[in-house]
Amino acid sequence: MDIGLYHYLSLAAFLFAIGLYGILTRRNAIAILMSLELMFNAVNINLVAFNRFSGSDGLSGQIFALFVIAIAAAEATVGLAIVILIYRNWRSIDADRVNLLKW
Amino acid sequence: MPADYSAVLVFIIAGTGIVVFTFLLSWFVQPRNPYKVKTETYECGEPIFEQSWTQFNNRFYIFGLIFVIFDVEAVFLFPWAVAFKSLGLFALVEMVIFITILLVGLVYAWKKGALKWV
Amino acid sequence: MINITPLIPELFLLVMAIVVLMLDLFSSRRTVVVPAYVSMAAVIITGFLVFKFGGDAVRWGSNAIFVADSFSQFFKVIILGAAFLAIGSSFGTADRMTHHRGEFFALLLFSTVGMMFLVSAKELILLYVGLELTTIPLFVLVAYQKTNRASSEAGLKYLIIGAASSAILLYGLSLLYGYTGTTYLNEIAQKTAVYFLSHGFIPNAEGTTDLVGMGPAFSVALMMIIAGLTFKLAIVPFHMWAPDVYEGAPTPITAFLSVGSKAAGLAAIIRIFDGMLYAFSHDTMPNDSWGTMMAVLAAVTMVAGNIIAIRQTNIKRMLAYSSIAQAGYILIGVIAASKLGVASCGFYMFAYMFANMGAFAIVGLYAEKTGKKNISDFAGLSKTSPIIAALMTMFMLSLAGIPPLAGFMAKYYIFAAAIEAGYTWLVILALLMSVVSLYYYANVVRIMYMVDSDNKHHIIPSFPAGLVLALTGIGVLLFGILPQSILDMAYKTASSFIF
Repeated sequence: MDIGLYHYLSLAAFLFAIGLYGILTRRNAIAILMSLELMFNAVNINLVAFNRFSGSDGLSGQIFALFVIAIAAAEATVGLAIVILIYRNWRSIDADRVNLLKW
Repeated sequence: MPADYSAVLVFIIAGTGIVVFTFLLSWFVQPRNPYKVKTETYECGEPIFEQSWTQFNNRFYIFGLIFVIFDVEAVFLFPWAVAFKSLGLFALVEMVIFITILLVGLVYAWKKGALKWV
Repeated sequence: MINITPLIPELFLLVMAIVVLMLDLFSSRRTVVVPAYVSMAAVIITGFLVFKFGGDAVRWGSNAIFVADSFSQFFKVIILGAAFLAIGSSFGTADRMTHHRGEFFALLLFSTVGMMFLVSAKELILLYVGLELTTIPLFVLVAYQKTNRASSEAGLKYLIIGAASSAILLYGLSLLYGYTGTTYLNEIAQKTAVYFLSHGFIPNAEGTTDLVGMGPAFSVALMMIIAGLTFKLAIVPFHMWAPDVYEGAPTPITAFLSVGSKAAGLAAIIRIFDGMLYAFSHDTMPNDSWGTMMAVLAAVTMVAGNIIAIRQTNIKRMLAYSSIAQAGYILIGVIAASKLGVASCGFYMFAYMFANMGAFAIVGLYAEKTGKKNISDFAGLSKTSPIIAALMTMFMLSLAGIPPLAGFMAKYYIFAAAIEAGYTWLVILALLMSVVSLYYYANVVRIMYMVDSDNKHHIIPSFPAGLVLALTGIGVLLFGILPQSILDMAYKTASSFIF
């Protein structure tokens, strides 16, 4: 069996769905951040696979993926900093217990 | 096509087999004589003074965060270096600006005391 | 060699943001005044540069990457205005911070630069980078009050939802890239237009001649892009984050978030949907299903925003739901997909900037002075501070859309554009909802003027806060009575779109 574009796209779609599921169900803030990374990496697989199989000689998909990696790192950094802040203020990183603001 | 991978299969079986064999062999021939000092965690010969599940100093976190940023920015250097000859002066100037911005960030972190071990 | 002169305003503001950052680092005097005034001056100079270096585009080959057309200029004026007013009203907030005051303004400027890129981007990578440059500093700013539990909670919520929504948007962009094989918006526009003219809305299995042969992927891509961008605009059903974040964030940041980030997101939506996918609203198209979908979103947003706003007691939360409802009105202009529609969107955002920034400035001032944030706490304000009360009345009535004020003209043009495009039912609903909104806006006025209290707080704004109030007050009045000049400008912005 040859590995083609659809395999990569399916892998990316599964990863993305797992990440989204993680964000919706996880209560630990760190686990939520990890799920976010899964979603970003699913996009990277998509971009690189499209670039490889699209037949055009451009590299914009790969360059896009590089930018996504860099920005995801910045996002993760800010995210971890905010989680530390949450821990200092709430003594917990359980997202369900951080519930001062509602309705 | 599966035949092409037969060599890989042989390697996998042989590799796994050797590991399992040596482990089993040592398990059979080893003397068993546990006592307190022997079961302790090995920390380069120092006597241990606490459990291994401890809270890490917050500083590690800060260093980790700074490392992540500077580490990932390096990703832009590699394609630039590969294509450097065909890009010419403009790319050099751009990369100098990029690195300058990173340096400003480093100076900023430094001055704010993020690199100091308190 | 690429011509980068159209980028000069953004580059200038970027350099100034770094200067402000360094200013905080190397100055021995720990004062809030210097970085704040430097930032305000930088924003004003950037405003001039936007007009000086406008009209051209940065190109890569024959494709534009970054355009400084009149559409982007108009939205940049709104964004820079929001930044200026936010900095002006944050002197008090920044003064009470013990650490990192300079960073506060630097981050605000970084976010402004990101918005300016977002407005001008004609290429997917630049669009995405601009979007993230907008939101990542805002994550930090929302959580800026380090010891305040509500602020850090708002920061976490904004971070998770903001990052998740950009991941969804990004997935949509990657599908769009895979579908068309290019990241340039103009090439994407050509390819999709050609494709849909020959195949209809959802391509069938035998009609797939494109590079990967997947039709529904395009619809999925569009859905995900709409979801990602409407998260930023806080359109129902992607609005849940807005009230919490608006309540927890420092008040000037809330104001900046509700105007600047909304303007940038709106501009991106208009660029993608009215500029790139104009084929969808074109007469020769078999149907306009995306228009119908957006119309339903706008309707739900107006109804939910206005009705939930009625029962709010916290003024920031009330303004948050009101801003959700306002986003619904603005979306009507996008749906109209005409020159008048784009122009009325721009004008609406312009009027909304003055009223909303002014209202939040007063809320911030009042909370600083008294520490109170409930609507009922405004009782008796007309006795102790009559000018502030009068200004607040003006802002509330402008948001509600009462005749001599800017908000009325804005609503009028939005509705005119929608009727022209045939969305009469949407306009009727919007009018009904405006009446509902009058209830909670006028409620603030009633409490200020009719309800007695032993409130003795006399509010005297500092100079920058006074400047902000004066500017917003004049803006709301002036552009309500004489909207023509701005309207002409807004109309010119639509010239780069093909309808």
